[in-house]
Amino acid sequence: MKSIIITNNPKVLKNYEDKYKVIFLEGSYLEVLTTTRDLVHKGHELLTHPLSGSIKPNETPYKSIMISQNKEKLNMESLMIIEDSIVTATKFINIKKTPSWPEKVLEDFKEIDYTLITSGMDSIEG
Amino acid sequence: MRLELGNIFIKNVKFGESTKIEDSILHINKEELLAAVGGDEHIKSIDVELAHPGEEIRITPVKDVIEPRVKVEGPGGIFPGMLSKVDTVGTGRTHALKNIAVVTAGKIVGFQEGIIDMTGPGAEYTPFSKLHNIVVVAEPADGIKQHEHEAAVRTIGLKAAQFLGEFAKNIEPDEVKYYETEPLLESVAKYPDLPKVGYVYMLQTQGLLHDTYVYGVDAKKIVPTLLYPTETMDGAIVSGNCVSACDKNPTYVHQNNSIIEDLYEKHGKEINFVGVIITNENVYLADKERSSNWTAKLTRYLGLDGVIVSQEGFGNPDTDLIMNCKKIENEGIKTVIVTDEYAGRDGASQSLADADAKADAVVTNGNANEVIVLPPMKKIIGSTEYVDVIAGGFDGSLRTDGSIEVEIQAITGATNETGFVKLSSKGY
Repeated sequence: MKSIIITNNPKVLKNYEDKYKVIFLEGSYLEVLTTTRDLVHKGHELLTHPLSGSIKPNETPYKSIMISQNKEKLNMESLMIIEDSIVTATKFINIKKTPSWPEKVLEDFKEIDYTLITSGMDSIEG
Repeated sequence: MRLELGNIFIKNVKFGESTKIEDSILHINKEELLAAVGGDEHIKSIDVELAHPGEEIRITPVKDVIEPRVKVEGPGGIFPGMLSKVDTVGTGRTHALKNIAVVTAGKIVGFQEGIIDMTGPGAEYTPFSKLHNIVVVAEPADGIKQHEHEAAVRTIGLKAAQFLGEFAKNIEPDEVKYYETEPLLESVAKYPDLPKVGYVYMLQTQGLLHDTYVYGVDAKKIVPTLLYPTETMDGAIVSGNCVSACDKNPTYVHQNNSIIEDLYEKHGKEINFVGVIITNENVYLADKERSSNWTAKLTRYLGLDGVIVSQEGFGNPDTDLIMNCKKIENEGIKTVIVTDEYAGRDGASQSLADADAKADAVVTNGNANEVIVLPPMKKIIGSTEYVDVIAGGFDGSLRTDGSIEVEIQAITGATNETGFVKLSSKGY
Protein backbone atom coordinates (compact mmCIF):
# COMPACT_ATOMS: atom_id res chain seq x y z
CA MET A 1 0.00 0.00 0.00
CA LYS A 2 1.36 3.45 -0.90
CA SER A 3 1.91 5.41 2.23
CA ILE A 4 2.89 8.76 3.71
CA ILE A 5 5.17 9.16 6.73
CA ILE A 6 4.50 12.01 9.12
CA THR A 7 7.56 12.55 11.31
CA ASN A 8 9.65 15.00 13.29
CA ASN A 9 12.61 12.61 13.29
CA PRO A 10 15.42 13.75 10.95
CA LYS A 11 16.76 10.19 10.74
CA VAL A 12 13.46 8.93 9.30
CA LEU A 13 13.41 11.81 6.80
CA LYS A 14 16.97 11.11 5.70
CA ASN A 15 16.45 7.36 5.26
CA TYR A 16 13.02 7.36 3.66
CA GLU A 17 12.54 10.60 1.72
CA ASP A 18 13.60 8.91 -1.52
CA LYS A 19 11.19 6.03 -1.06
CA TYR A 20 8.11 7.54 0.58
CA LYS A 21 6.28 10.81 0.69
CA VAL A 22 7.48 12.27 4.00
CA ILE A 23 5.76 15.14 5.79
CA PHE A 24 8.54 16.47 8.02
CA LEU A 25 7.55 18.69 10.93
CA GLU A 26 9.95 20.84 12.90
CA GLY A 27 7.56 20.35 15.78
CA SER A 28 6.78 18.32 18.89
CA TYR A 29 5.58 14.73 19.39
CA LEU A 30 2.09 16.09 19.94
CA GLU A 31 2.20 18.12 16.72
CA VAL A 32 2.94 14.91 14.79
CA LEU A 33 -0.18 13.40 16.37
CA THR A 34 -2.44 16.39 15.69
CA THR A 35 -1.18 16.71 12.09
CA THR A 36 -1.98 13.02 11.64
CA ARG A 37 -5.45 13.53 13.10
CA ASP A 38 -6.14 16.32 10.61
CA LEU A 39 -5.14 14.06 7.74
CA VAL A 40 -7.30 11.22 9.08
CA HIS A 41 -10.21 13.65 8.99
CA LYS A 42 -9.40 14.25 5.32
CA GLY A 43 -9.81 10.52 4.65
CA HIS A 44 -6.34 9.04 5.04
CA GLU A 45 -6.17 5.72 6.90
CA LEU A 46 -3.87 5.21 9.87
CA LEU A 47 -1.38 2.41 9.09
CA THR A 48 0.83 2.37 12.20
CA HIS A 49 -0.22 2.87 15.79
CA PRO A 50 0.52 6.45 16.89
CA LEU A 51 1.80 5.28 20.29
CA SER A 52 4.17 2.69 18.81
CA GLY A 53 6.74 1.60 21.36
CA SER A 54 6.45 1.58 25.11
CA ILE A 55 8.54 4.75 25.39
CA LYS A 56 6.35 7.34 27.04
CA PRO A 57 5.04 10.38 25.09
CA ASN A 58 6.73 12.75 27.56
CA GLU A 59 9.99 10.81 27.30
CA THR A 60 10.87 10.72 23.61
CA PRO A 61 10.62 13.90 21.52
CA TYR A 62 10.40 11.92 18.25
CA LYS A 63 7.42 10.31 16.59
CA SER A 64 6.83 8.85 13.15
CA ILE A 65 3.46 7.65 11.89
CA MET A 66 2.44 6.06 8.58
CA ILE A 67 -0.86 6.79 6.88
CA SER A 68 -2.29 5.74 3.51
CA GLN A 69 -1.62 7.92 0.50
CA ASN A 70 -5.13 7.14 -0.76
CA LYS A 71 -8.01 9.12 0.63
CA GLU A 72 -11.38 7.53 1.12
CA LYS A 73 -14.26 8.40 3.37
CA LEU A 74 -13.40 9.02 7.02
CA ASN A 75 -12.10 5.86 8.68
CA MET A 76 -13.72 5.86 12.12
CA GLU A 77 -11.33 3.30 13.59
CA SER A 78 -8.36 5.42 12.55
CA LEU A 79 -10.01 8.46 14.09
CA MET A 80 -10.74 6.69 17.38
CA ILE A 81 -7.16 5.45 17.65
CA ILE A 82 -5.54 8.81 16.88
CA GLU A 83 -7.91 10.67 19.23
CA ASP A 84 -7.28 8.20 22.08
CA SER A 85 -3.54 8.52 21.41
CA ILE A 86 -3.73 12.32 21.65
CA VAL A 87 -5.60 12.03 24.96
CA THR A 88 -2.95 9.64 26.31
CA ALA A 89 0.00 11.73 25.08
CA THR A 90 -1.51 14.93 26.50
CA LYS A 91 -2.05 13.22 29.85
CA PHE A 92 1.65 12.35 30.06
CA ILE A 93 2.89 15.74 28.84
CA ASN A 94 0.69 17.48 31.40
CA ILE A 95 2.25 15.38 34.18
CA LYS A 96 5.72 16.51 33.12
CA LYS A 97 7.23 18.04 30.04
CA THR A 98 9.68 16.13 27.87
CA PRO A 99 13.15 16.89 29.29
CA SER A 100 15.93 18.72 27.43
CA TRP A 101 18.07 15.80 26.44
CA PRO A 102 21.78 15.66 25.80
CA GLU A 103 22.63 15.08 22.13
CA LYS A 104 23.68 11.47 22.66
CA VAL A 105 20.33 10.55 24.19
CA LEU A 106 18.51 12.34 21.35
CA GLU A 107 20.42 10.12 18.93
CA ASP A 108 19.19 7.02 20.82
CA PHE A 109 15.60 8.23 20.60
CA LYS A 110 15.96 8.90 16.87
CA GLU A 111 17.30 5.39 16.38
CA ILE A 112 14.45 3.76 18.36
CA ASP A 113 11.75 5.72 16.54
CA TYR A 114 13.43 4.86 13.23
CA THR A 115 13.52 1.11 14.01
CA LEU A 116 9.88 1.12 15.18
CA ILE A 117 8.63 2.70 11.95
CA THR A 118 10.93 0.42 9.96
CA SER A 119 9.32 -2.61 11.64
CA GLY A 120 5.99 -1.21 10.39
CA MET A 121 7.36 -1.01 6.85
CA ASP A 122 8.66 -4.56 6.98
CA SER A 123 5.08 -5.61 7.66
CA ILE A 124 3.71 -3.62 4.75
CA GLU A 125 6.27 -4.87 2.30
CA GLY A 126 6.25 -8.40 3.69
CA MET B 1 2.99 -32.99 27.72
CA ARG B 2 4.21 -33.48 31.30
CA LEU B 3 6.96 -31.62 33.08
CA GLU B 4 8.43 -32.29 36.49
CA LEU B 5 9.84 -29.08 37.88
CA GLY B 6 12.36 -29.68 40.65
CA ASN B 7 12.76 -26.58 42.78
CA ILE B 8 16.02 -26.14 44.66
CA PHE B 9 15.76 -23.42 47.27
CA ILE B 10 18.99 -21.47 47.55
CA LYS B 11 19.60 -19.75 50.90
CA ASN B 12 22.59 -17.65 49.92
CA VAL B 13 25.00 -16.86 47.09
CA LYS B 14 28.71 -16.27 47.68
CA PHE B 15 31.82 -15.88 45.59
CA GLY B 16 34.22 -18.76 46.23
CA GLU B 17 37.07 -20.94 45.00
CA SER B 18 34.87 -23.14 42.86
CA THR B 19 31.34 -23.00 41.51
CA LYS B 20 29.09 -25.45 43.38
CA ILE B 21 25.91 -25.82 45.38
CA GLU B 22 26.49 -27.03 48.92
CA ASP B 23 24.04 -26.98 51.83
CA SER B 24 21.64 -24.82 49.81
CA ILE B 25 24.34 -22.21 49.22
CA LEU B 26 25.45 -21.33 45.70
CA HIS B 27 29.18 -20.65 45.53
CA ILE B 28 30.35 -18.93 42.37
CA ASN B 29 33.89 -18.80 41.07
CA LYS B 30 33.73 -15.41 39.38
CA GLU B 31 36.43 -16.26 36.82
CA GLU B 32 34.58 -19.42 35.75
CA LEU B 33 31.35 -17.48 35.34
CA LEU B 34 33.07 -14.70 33.38
CA ALA B 35 34.75 -17.29 31.14
CA ALA B 36 31.37 -18.94 30.46
CA VAL B 37 29.66 -15.72 29.41
CA GLY B 38 32.53 -13.80 27.82
CA GLY B 39 33.99 -13.72 24.34
CA ASP B 40 31.54 -11.42 22.56
CA GLU B 41 33.43 -8.98 20.34
CA HIS B 42 30.82 -6.32 21.03
CA ILE B 43 31.61 -6.27 24.73
CA LYS B 44 34.70 -4.59 26.20
CA SER B 45 34.43 -5.85 29.77
CA ILE B 46 32.07 -7.76 32.04
CA ASP B 47 31.84 -7.64 35.79
CA VAL B 48 29.69 -9.60 38.21
CA GLU B 49 28.44 -8.37 41.57
CA LEU B 50 26.09 -9.83 44.16
CA ALA B 51 23.08 -8.09 45.68
CA HIS B 52 21.24 -9.74 48.56
CA PRO B 53 17.79 -8.97 50.00
CA GLY B 54 17.98 -6.26 52.66
CA GLU B 55 21.30 -4.81 51.50
CA GLU B 56 21.47 -1.09 50.78
CA ILE B 57 21.98 -1.61 47.09
CA ARG B 58 20.28 -0.04 44.07
CA ILE B 59 20.61 -1.89 40.75
CA THR B 60 19.90 0.32 37.73
CA PRO B 61 19.31 0.39 34.79
CA VAL B 62 18.10 -3.22 34.82
CA LYS B 63 17.76 -4.91 31.43
CA ASP B 64 16.63 -8.46 32.19
CA VAL B 65 16.10 -10.83 35.11
CA ILE B 66 16.58 -14.55 34.47
CA GLU B 67 16.15 -17.68 36.63
CA PRO B 68 18.88 -20.32 36.31
CA ARG B 69 17.37 -23.62 35.17
CA VAL B 70 18.62 -26.84 33.66
CA LYS B 71 17.04 -29.63 31.67
CA VAL B 72 17.60 -32.91 33.54
CA GLU B 73 15.51 -35.31 31.47
CA GLY B 74 13.59 -35.03 28.24
CA PRO B 75 14.28 -33.47 24.87
CA GLY B 76 16.01 -30.17 24.30
CA GLY B 77 17.75 -27.71 26.54
CA ILE B 78 17.04 -24.44 28.30
CA PHE B 79 16.34 -21.40 26.08
CA PRO B 80 15.69 -23.35 22.87
CA GLY B 81 16.55 -21.46 19.71
CA MET B 82 18.68 -19.04 21.70
CA LEU B 83 21.29 -21.21 23.45
CA SER B 84 19.98 -24.73 22.83
CA LYS B 85 18.76 -26.40 19.65
CA VAL B 86 15.15 -25.97 18.64
CA ASP B 87 13.84 -29.27 20.05
CA THR B 88 10.37 -28.85 21.53
CA VAL B 89 10.81 -28.41 25.28
CA GLY B 90 8.37 -28.75 28.16
CA THR B 91 8.51 -32.49 28.86
CA GLY B 92 10.63 -34.59 31.20
CA ARG B 93 12.33 -32.94 34.12
CA THR B 94 13.77 -29.49 34.74
CA HIS B 95 15.53 -28.15 37.81
CA ALA B 96 15.19 -24.51 38.85
CA LEU B 97 17.35 -22.58 41.29
CA LYS B 98 14.81 -20.66 43.35
CA ASN B 99 15.41 -17.45 45.35
CA ILE B 100 18.16 -16.34 42.99
CA ALA B 101 18.36 -14.60 39.62
CA VAL B 102 20.80 -13.35 37.05
CA VAL B 103 20.21 -9.64 36.52
CA THR B 104 21.74 -7.85 33.53
CA ALA B 105 22.36 -4.16 34.15
CA GLY B 106 24.03 -1.23 32.45
CA LYS B 107 22.76 1.28 29.95
CA ILE B 108 22.21 0.36 26.32
CA VAL B 109 20.57 3.65 25.44
CA GLY B 110 20.82 6.88 27.39
CA PHE B 111 17.30 6.86 28.75
CA GLN B 112 17.16 3.25 29.84
CA GLU B 113 15.12 2.59 32.93
CA GLY B 114 14.59 -0.13 35.50
CA ILE B 115 15.40 0.09 39.20
CA ILE B 116 15.68 -2.75 41.72
CA ASP B 117 16.23 -1.53 45.29
CA MET B 118 17.23 -4.35 47.61
CA THR B 119 15.79 -2.59 50.69
CA GLY B 120 13.54 0.34 51.61
CA PRO B 121 10.21 1.41 50.14
CA GLY B 122 11.27 0.73 46.53
CA ALA B 123 12.01 -2.91 47.40
CA GLU B 124 8.37 -3.35 48.33
CA TYR B 125 7.35 -2.70 44.73
CA THR B 126 9.56 -5.24 42.99
CA PRO B 127 9.46 -9.02 43.50
CA PHE B 128 13.12 -9.15 42.46
CA SER B 129 14.27 -7.44 45.69
CA LYS B 130 13.55 -10.72 47.49
CA LEU B 131 16.07 -12.67 45.42
CA HIS B 132 19.82 -13.11 45.77
CA ASN B 133 20.80 -11.37 42.55
CA ILE B 134 23.87 -12.15 40.51
CA VAL B 135 24.25 -8.87 38.64
CA VAL B 136 26.12 -8.90 35.36
CA VAL B 137 27.29 -5.50 34.13
CA ALA B 138 28.66 -5.50 30.58
CA GLU B 139 30.47 -2.53 29.07
CA PRO B 140 30.09 -2.23 25.29
CA ALA B 141 33.01 -2.01 22.88
CA ASP B 142 33.45 1.44 21.36
CA GLY B 143 31.26 2.31 18.41
CA ILE B 144 28.85 -0.66 18.50
CA LYS B 145 25.24 -0.17 17.46
CA GLN B 146 22.43 -0.33 19.99
CA HIS B 147 20.93 -3.52 18.52
CA GLU B 148 24.30 -5.32 18.67
CA HIS B 149 24.71 -4.18 22.26
CA GLU B 150 21.22 -5.36 23.21
CA ALA B 151 21.72 -8.76 21.58
CA ALA B 152 25.10 -9.20 23.27
CA VAL B 153 23.81 -8.37 26.76
CA ARG B 154 20.71 -10.51 26.23
CA THR B 155 22.90 -13.51 25.34
CA ILE B 156 25.32 -12.89 28.22
CA GLY B 157 22.40 -12.96 30.68
CA LEU B 158 21.02 -16.19 29.24
CA LYS B 159 24.46 -17.81 29.24
CA ALA B 160 25.03 -16.84 32.88
CA ALA B 161 21.68 -18.39 33.85
CA GLN B 162 22.47 -21.52 31.82
CA PHE B 163 25.95 -21.81 33.37
CA LEU B 164 24.62 -21.56 36.93
CA GLY B 165 21.64 -23.80 36.15
CA GLU B 166 24.00 -26.64 35.13
CA PHE B 167 25.13 -26.95 38.77
CA ALA B 168 21.56 -27.87 39.72
CA LYS B 169 21.53 -30.92 37.47
CA ASN B 170 22.62 -33.48 40.06
CA ILE B 171 21.11 -31.89 43.14
CA GLU B 172 18.08 -33.50 44.78
CA PRO B 173 15.31 -30.85 44.62
CA ASP B 174 13.65 -29.61 47.81
CA GLU B 175 10.29 -29.82 46.07
CA VAL B 176 9.01 -31.36 42.84
CA LYS B 177 5.95 -29.97 41.09
CA TYR B 178 4.15 -31.69 38.23
CA TYR B 179 2.50 -29.88 35.37
CA GLU B 180 0.60 -31.76 32.71
CA THR B 181 -1.39 -30.73 29.66
CA GLU B 182 -2.88 -33.43 27.50
CA PRO B 183 -3.59 -33.09 23.78
CA LEU B 184 -6.85 -31.20 23.37
CA LEU B 185 -9.24 -34.07 22.56
CA GLU B 186 -7.88 -36.23 25.38
CA SER B 187 -8.12 -33.34 27.80
CA VAL B 188 -11.72 -32.60 26.84
CA ALA B 189 -12.61 -36.31 27.17
CA LYS B 190 -10.95 -36.47 30.58
CA TYR B 191 -12.75 -33.42 32.02
CA PRO B 192 -16.08 -33.31 30.16
CA ASP B 193 -17.79 -31.24 32.84
CA LEU B 194 -15.14 -28.58 33.38
CA PRO B 195 -15.10 -25.28 31.52
CA LYS B 196 -12.29 -25.10 28.95
CA VAL B 197 -10.02 -22.16 29.65
CA GLY B 198 -7.15 -20.81 27.56
CA TYR B 199 -4.54 -18.14 28.10
CA VAL B 200 -3.80 -15.53 25.44
CA TYR B 201 -0.23 -14.43 26.14
CA MET B 202 0.60 -11.11 24.47
CA LEU B 203 4.28 -10.46 23.74
CA GLN B 204 5.86 -7.05 23.15
CA THR B 205 7.27 -7.06 19.61
CA GLN B 206 7.92 -3.71 17.99
CA GLY B 207 11.57 -3.29 17.20
CA LEU B 208 14.79 -2.30 18.91
CA LEU B 209 14.55 -2.78 22.70
CA HIS B 210 10.91 -3.86 22.30
CA ASP B 211 11.29 -7.48 21.17
CA THR B 212 10.52 -10.97 22.43
CA TYR B 213 11.80 -14.27 21.09
CA VAL B 214 10.01 -17.62 20.91
CA TYR B 215 12.31 -20.57 20.22
CA GLY B 216 14.71 -17.95 18.86
CA VAL B 217 12.16 -16.47 16.45
CA ASP B 218 11.54 -12.74 16.63
CA ALA B 219 7.89 -12.85 17.70
CA LYS B 220 6.87 -9.83 15.60
CA LYS B 221 7.17 -12.20 12.65
CA ILE B 222 4.86 -14.91 13.95
CA VAL B 223 1.14 -15.35 13.58
CA PRO B 224 -0.58 -16.39 16.82
CA THR B 225 0.11 -20.01 17.66
CA LEU B 226 -0.25 -22.59 20.40
CA LEU B 227 2.19 -23.57 23.12
CA TYR B 228 1.90 -26.18 25.80
CA PRO B 229 2.15 -24.15 29.02
CA THR B 230 5.18 -26.15 30.18
CA GLU B 231 7.23 -24.97 27.20
CA THR B 232 7.45 -21.54 28.84
CA MET B 233 8.99 -23.14 31.95
CA ASP B 234 11.97 -24.34 29.88
CA GLY B 235 12.67 -20.86 28.51
CA ALA B 236 10.82 -21.07 25.19
CA ILE B 237 10.04 -17.35 25.52
CA VAL B 238 12.91 -14.93 26.09
CA SER B 239 12.79 -11.18 26.64
CA GLY B 240 14.67 -8.69 24.49
CA ASN B 241 12.47 -5.94 25.86
CA CYS B 242 14.24 -3.14 27.69
CA VAL B 243 11.54 -0.47 27.73
CA SER B 244 8.74 0.20 30.22
CA ALA B 245 10.41 -1.36 33.26
CA CYS B 246 7.29 -1.68 35.38
CA ASP B 247 5.17 -3.64 32.91
CA LYS B 248 7.53 -5.49 30.60
CA ASN B 249 7.98 -9.21 31.11
CA PRO B 250 11.56 -10.07 32.02
CA THR B 251 12.62 -13.61 31.04
CA TYR B 252 12.12 -14.58 34.73
CA VAL B 253 8.41 -13.79 34.36
CA HIS B 254 8.17 -15.85 31.16
CA GLN B 255 9.74 -18.78 33.07
CA ASN B 256 7.49 -18.26 36.12
CA ASN B 257 4.30 -16.89 34.56
CA SER B 258 1.87 -16.61 37.45
CA ILE B 259 -1.24 -16.83 35.26
CA ILE B 260 0.00 -20.20 33.98
CA GLU B 261 0.86 -21.30 37.53
CA ASP B 262 -2.58 -20.31 38.82
CA LEU B 263 -4.44 -21.91 35.91
CA TYR B 264 -2.54 -25.16 36.54
CA GLU B 265 -3.50 -24.89 40.22
CA LYS B 266 -7.17 -25.02 39.22
CA HIS B 267 -6.68 -27.45 36.31
CA GLY B 268 -8.72 -30.63 36.63
CA LYS B 269 -10.56 -29.22 39.65
CA GLU B 270 -12.45 -26.07 38.68
CA ILE B 271 -11.36 -25.66 35.07
CA ASN B 272 -9.74 -27.50 32.19
CA PHE B 273 -6.69 -25.40 31.31
CA VAL B 274 -6.16 -26.46 27.70
CA GLY B 275 -3.24 -24.30 26.62
CA VAL B 276 -1.53 -21.05 25.74
CA ILE B 277 -2.01 -18.95 22.62
CA ILE B 278 0.93 -16.62 22.10
CA THR B 279 0.39 -13.47 20.09
CA ASN B 280 2.32 -10.29 19.35
CA GLU B 281 2.01 -6.51 19.69
CA ASN B 282 3.20 -4.97 16.43
CA VAL B 283 3.51 -1.40 15.15
CA TYR B 284 1.45 -1.83 11.99
CA LEU B 285 -2.30 -1.73 12.55
CA ALA B 286 -2.96 -4.45 9.96
CA ASP B 287 -0.69 -6.75 11.99
CA LYS B 288 -2.74 -5.96 15.08
CA GLU B 289 -5.93 -6.75 13.17
CA ARG B 290 -4.51 -10.01 11.76
CA SER B 291 -3.10 -11.21 15.07
CA SER B 292 -6.26 -10.45 17.03
CA ASN B 293 -8.35 -12.14 14.30
CA TRP B 294 -6.16 -15.20 14.66
CA THR B 295 -6.28 -15.32 18.46
CA ALA B 296 -10.08 -15.11 18.29
CA LYS B 297 -10.12 -17.79 15.59
CA LEU B 298 -7.93 -20.11 17.67
CA THR B 299 -9.98 -19.63 20.86
CA ARG B 300 -13.11 -20.63 18.94
CA TYR B 301 -11.36 -23.52 17.20
CA LEU B 302 -10.24 -24.85 20.59
CA GLY B 303 -13.83 -24.62 21.83
CA LEU B 304 -12.89 -22.48 24.80
CA ASP B 305 -15.43 -21.31 27.34
CA GLY B 306 -13.19 -18.72 28.95
CA VAL B 307 -10.02 -16.84 28.15
CA ILE B 308 -7.54 -14.79 30.15
CA VAL B 309 -5.55 -12.23 28.16
CA SER B 310 -2.40 -10.59 29.55
CA GLN B 311 -0.73 -7.52 28.08
CA GLU B 312 2.88 -6.39 28.00
CA GLY B 313 3.98 -2.76 27.91
CA PHE B 314 2.29 0.58 27.56
CA GLY B 315 0.31 2.53 24.98
CA ASN B 316 -0.27 0.85 21.64
CA PRO B 317 -0.54 -2.68 23.18
CA ASP B 318 -3.72 -1.32 24.79
CA THR B 319 -5.16 -1.47 21.27
CA ASP B 320 -4.03 -5.11 20.81
CA LEU B 321 -5.51 -5.94 24.21
CA ILE B 322 -8.87 -4.41 23.41
CA MET B 323 -8.93 -5.95 19.90
CA ASN B 324 -8.21 -9.38 21.40
CA CYS B 325 -10.85 -8.93 24.09
CA LYS B 326 -13.55 -7.63 21.76
CA LYS B 327 -13.03 -10.28 19.10
CA ILE B 328 -12.84 -13.19 21.56
CA GLU B 329 -15.98 -11.93 23.32
CA ASN B 330 -17.66 -11.73 19.90
CA GLU B 331 -17.02 -15.47 19.56
CA GLY B 332 -19.20 -15.89 22.66
CA ILE B 333 -16.26 -16.65 24.95
CA LYS B 334 -15.99 -15.02 28.36
CA THR B 335 -12.83 -12.95 28.48
CA VAL B 336 -10.84 -11.40 31.33
CA ILE B 337 -8.05 -8.95 30.56
CA VAL B 338 -5.03 -8.37 32.79
CA THR B 339 -3.31 -5.00 32.46
CA ASP B 340 -1.97 -2.02 34.40
CA GLU B 341 -2.89 1.65 34.42
CA TYR B 342 -1.42 5.03 33.59
CA ALA B 343 -4.16 6.96 35.30
CA GLY B 344 -2.26 10.13 36.23
CA ARG B 345 -0.68 10.86 39.58
CA ASP B 346 -4.05 10.98 41.34
CA GLY B 347 -5.28 7.84 39.59
CA ALA B 348 -8.34 9.65 38.23
CA SER B 349 -7.54 9.84 34.50
CA GLN B 350 -8.50 7.27 31.87
CA SER B 351 -6.23 4.26 32.48
CA LEU B 352 -5.77 2.81 29.01
CA ALA B 353 -5.25 4.28 25.56
CA ASP B 354 -8.13 2.20 24.21
CA ALA B 355 -11.42 0.87 25.56
CA ASP B 356 -14.50 -1.13 24.65
CA ALA B 357 -17.74 -2.05 26.39
CA LYS B 358 -16.87 -5.74 25.91
CA ALA B 359 -13.89 -5.28 28.25
CA ASP B 360 -16.10 -5.68 31.30
CA ALA B 361 -13.81 -7.97 33.29
CA VAL B 362 -10.47 -6.32 33.96
CA VAL B 363 -7.73 -7.05 36.47
CA THR B 364 -5.33 -4.16 37.10
CA ASN B 365 -1.84 -4.47 38.49
CA GLY B 366 -1.51 -0.89 39.69
CA ASN B 367 -1.17 2.72 38.58
CA ALA B 368 2.29 3.23 37.06
CA ASN B 369 2.03 7.03 37.47
CA GLU B 370 2.03 6.74 41.27
CA VAL B 371 4.97 8.69 42.75
CA ILE B 372 7.47 7.29 45.24
CA VAL B 373 10.61 8.63 46.91
CA LEU B 374 13.45 6.12 46.93
CA PRO B 375 15.97 6.92 49.68
CA PRO B 376 19.72 6.95 48.94
CA MET B 377 21.49 3.59 48.93
CA LYS B 378 25.04 2.89 50.04
CA LYS B 379 25.93 1.18 46.81
CA ILE B 380 24.83 1.58 43.21
CA ILE B 381 25.34 -1.27 40.74
CA GLY B 382 25.13 0.22 37.25
CA SER B 383 24.53 3.96 37.07
CA THR B 384 22.04 6.61 38.21
CA GLU B 385 23.43 9.06 35.67
CA TYR B 386 20.18 9.22 33.74
CA VAL B 387 17.59 8.92 36.51
CA ASP B 388 16.39 12.48 35.84
CA VAL B 389 15.38 11.47 32.37
CA ILE B 390 14.08 7.91 32.55
CA ALA B 391 10.38 7.20 32.21
CA GLY B 392 8.71 8.27 35.40
CA GLY B 393 11.62 10.48 36.38
CA PHE B 394 11.69 14.23 35.91
CA ASP B 395 14.00 17.21 36.31
CA GLY B 396 15.27 17.09 39.85
CA SER B 397 14.33 13.42 40.31
CA LEU B 398 17.84 12.59 41.47
CA ARG B 399 18.43 14.69 44.56
CA THR B 400 21.82 15.73 45.91
CA ASP B 401 21.59 13.24 48.79
CA GLY B 402 21.15 10.38 46.28
CA SER B 403 17.44 9.89 46.87
CA ILE B 404 15.18 9.66 43.84
CA GLU B 405 11.62 10.85 43.36
CA VAL B 406 10.05 8.86 40.54
CA GLU B 407 6.85 7.30 39.34
CA ILE B 408 6.71 3.58 40.09
CA GLN B 409 6.93 2.91 36.33
CA ALA B 410 10.72 3.24 36.80
CA ILE B 411 10.79 0.18 39.10
CA THR B 412 11.38 -3.19 37.43
CA GLY B 413 8.25 -5.32 37.62
CA ALA B 414 6.21 -2.87 39.75
CA THR B 415 2.98 -3.24 37.73
CA ASN B 416 3.71 -6.40 35.73
CA GLU B 417 0.70 -7.35 33.65
CA THR B 418 0.85 -11.07 34.34
CA GLY B 419 0.23 -10.36 38.00
CA PHE B 420 3.81 -11.14 39.00
CA VAL B 421 3.75 -8.17 41.35
CA LYS B 422 3.83 -7.03 44.95
CA LEU B 423 0.73 -4.88 44.52
CA SER B 424 -2.72 -6.38 44.74
CA SER B 425 -6.12 -5.51 43.33
CA LYS B 426 -9.24 -5.25 45.46
CA GLY B 427 -12.84 -5.36 44.28
CA TYR B 428 -15.30 -2.93 45.89
